[in-house]
Amino acid sequence: MLSKLRYFRLVDNGGRQYVLSDIAIALLESDYPAVTQFLYRNSEGEQMMLPWHTVKGIDWRHSRINVSSFDSAKSVTEESLRKEVLLGRDVIDALVLDLHNRRVTRANDLWLEEENGKLLLKAADTSSFAILRRLSHGLFGSGPSRAPYDWKYIEFLRGDPHAVGNGAGYHMRIKRLPPGEIAGLCRSLPYLHAAELLTLLPDALAAETLAAMMPDRQVQVFGEVEDEQAVRLLARMRANDAANLLRRLTVESAESFLKRLPKARSEKLIDLLRYPEATVGGIMSNDMVTLTLDQTIREALLRLRERLKQTDFTHFLYVVESEASRLLRGTTSLQDLIVADDERRLHEIMNIYVTTLDPLEPADAGAYRVLDSHLAAMPVIGREKQLLGIVTVDAAVMQVAPQSWTAQAPKIFS
Amino acid sequence: MNERPARSGLEPLARVEASVPTSRPQTLRTAVRINIRGRSVRLRGLRLPPTGIWRWLGILGPGLIASSAGNDAGGIATYSSTGAQYGYELIWVMLLITVSLSIVQEMCARLGAVTGRGLLDLIRERFGVGWAVFAVAVILIANGGLIVSEFVGIGAATELLGVSKLFTVPTAAALIFYLVVFGNYRRVEKIFLLMTLVFFAYPVAAFMAHPHWGEVARGAFVPKLHRDPNYIFLLVGLIGTTITPYMQLFQQSSVVERGADRARYGPERVDVYSGATFSNLMSIFIIIATAATLHAIGKNNIDTAADAARALEPVAGHFAGVIFAVGLVGASLLAAAVLPLATSYAVSEAFGFSKGVGLDFRRARLFFTLFTGLIIFGAAAALTPNLPVIKLLVWIQVLNGVLLPIFLVFILLLINDQRLTKELKNTRFYNVLGWATFAIITLAVAIMLLMQFLGLWGVKLFGS
Repeated sequence: MLSKLRYFRLVDNGGRQYVLSDIAIALLESDYPAVTQFLYRNSEGEQMMLPWHTVKGIDWRHSRINVSSFDSAKSVTEESLRKEVLLGRDVIDALVLDLHNRRVTRANDLWLEEENGKLLLKAADTSSFAILRRLSHGLFGSGPSRAPYDWKYIEFLRGDPHAVGNGAGYHMRIKRLPPGEIAGLCRSLPYLHAAELLTLLPDALAAETLAAMMPDRQVQVFGEVEDEQAVRLLARMRANDAANLLRRLTVESAESFLKRLPKARSEKLIDLLRYPEATVGGIMSNDMVTLTLDQTIREALLRLRERLKQTDFTHFLYVVESEASRLLRGTTSLQDLIVADDERRLHEIMNIYVTTLDPLEPADAGAYRVLDSHLAAMPVIGREKQLLGIVTVDAAVMQVAPQSWTAQAPKIFS
Repeated sequence: MNERPARSGLEPLARVEASVPTSRPQTLRTAVRINIRGRSVRLRGLRLPPTGIWRWLGILGPGLIASSAGNDAGGIATYSSTGAQYGYELIWVMLLITVSLSIVQEMCARLGAVTGRGLLDLIRERFGVGWAVFAVAVILIANGGLIVSEFVGIGAATELLGVSKLFTVPTAAALIFYLVVFGNYRRVEKIFLLMTLVFFAYPVAAFMAHPHWGEVARGAFVPKLHRDPNYIFLLVGLIGTTITPYMQLFQQSSVVERGADRARYGPERVDVYSGATFSNLMSIFIIIATAATLHAIGKNNIDTAADAARALEPVAGHFAGVIFAVGLVGASLLAAAVLPLATSYAVSEAFGFSKGVGLDFRRARLFFTLFTGLIIFGAAAALTPNLPVIKLLVWIQVLNGVLLPIFLVFILLLINDQRLTKELKNTRFYNVLGWATFAIITLAVAIMLLMQFLGLWGVKLFGS
């Protein structure tokens, strides 16, 4: 236990001894980081660092660490210690992610074990007994730990979104969690920790995680990531999620991001941002597949292969008069398209009786129409009957559900 | 025949006439014109910041709530005693306290916005588990006692209005529980802000009492010192009751929960300053009301805030007393909600539990359990017959007095930690005011503690 080890003395062959002040670990070396250096202050008050290889053995009974000599110890400054991960300074008492239980907790004590000539950080103790143990210097609460969490499943954050760029290391097991669970963890973290977490994720996962966050937290976290990453995330998010995020930023920031996004993406977002958020246009998405009236099924399927790589909503396919006019003429489902004869034309299999929404209809009314229809989505058409977008059942649920549900609401169709 | 346009879906799309739905909004939000790659586009989906009165109302929040919660039953009792005993003479102290309160609360708000973390969270990480556990233990006892006193205040004030406390205290507890456990932060904040409106009862009571405004001005700007122990006690009491540790805890934690960050910190500062000014202005009106009525006729002794309300009736009319009592109910209700929240935030931050009004019971079980437990305890204790409320308040004041200077040192050290606060660390001017506040408060607390302890042995400081 670190709580015990912190009071150990370093003793060499000649009987010289110093009180241990902290312990450095190699965080990324393995699942269980090994102790690399011991820190102490010498008789002149200088901060010294003694490498692990000088250790001959740890005498747990007499609270001492026997070392061969202090000759290999080096003087260190606070500045040079910045890049080290120190158990006392950085890890104990810090907020950590317990990935196993999907929660944010505090490392009240750390479990260290000797194994194959190394001293390894094996677990974090998050129980209140660990606090009792520390406060009583081991007098109470020193029985078997009630909540030792395997270090392998602990992610340790610095509370600095720039730490990733500055070379801080992470286990990265967090990447294995679904975006909703990561967003749930971000909810319990301070916003700088949450931004750091987002920064260390691959862009695709980070974009989904950002989209799954509560609106207020989303804006806080987004404001802390570097501009380049922010643009990449906006480019990867679903169009309606990205538009919703832009709505919550200041006009100046939204404008700046729209200018920096790739042109096609920016145009798509501008089309969504034309409508106030309380209208159907404000909750619609324009990530859908359109096909033209005169295409054969074979042509349509060929075209779909490319389109489906970029498009999010694929349950329904929207048949328009031409790509230029985008006048909606009917809809068909992916299933109908696949089972239809290759030589038939789209206008022969499409459904021409389509319930549509107006973009300026109130969002709540539009959302209830989608929910009442039990359809996966409903198209939104303009005055000239041109297809503007769709309101998916997910967007409809998000619109009418209490705000606290938004983080949990599944996104099946968008 | 129905003239309304038919819903789409009944005829083939090609034949459907484009129609305007009946529910289409009458007016559309003003569009923002922006220039993207040389093309001017009009976007109605971007949010324009609120303007005028809505902008100012939108800013108000934790600062106003935390400071106003300080005008609780204990606070009203102290301000009433001050007015009754010394008339307008101590108003100048309230002006100085306003500056100190603003400084302390602002530093906490800034820490919350810059770090996204509560005070106990930072104390635990920067100063160790020992200080955090000490602070939690003191907070639990001190705030636990204060919660009891708030429910006592609610009971006493509603009995003045003719309703039994056996009904009002449990009702108030249930109301607070429902509000916090089933509400989200935005809603809870709005209701707390609405509660602060009851404080306008005090200016009304003060004006009804027809004070001598020339004397009020003299009391505010010409300090007058006395050597008698009561004066010193009230002076210290005014500081102690106006700046209390739970206010700092609540301020910082609720700024965090509100979602303020370093980029959007400016409005929080306005909230803090206006909150401190508003709450202390209300305190001054309490002093004026009691000074104009009770001090003017030589009635100097008031034991509780309820006594003050009752005492106002024969002098300033029945309505002044009723208005004062209504203010007391509102003030106690606000503090009875803020105190358990501040305590639950502190304990959760210190031990790393999930916390927040915005979470549900499942996600923040310990936070809400503690909150509920404190309310039940407070309400139950307040209904206990023969509860020594005054003695309780004295000991609570002692505990808060011990904690306040320690908190102030932590706050000042944390706000000056460059790694935490970066460009928002204290300026020299702020540090001078901050440390001066610390010195004055520490001196006041030391005097208070000395008086309390010497009082135990019958020794009186500053003469008889």
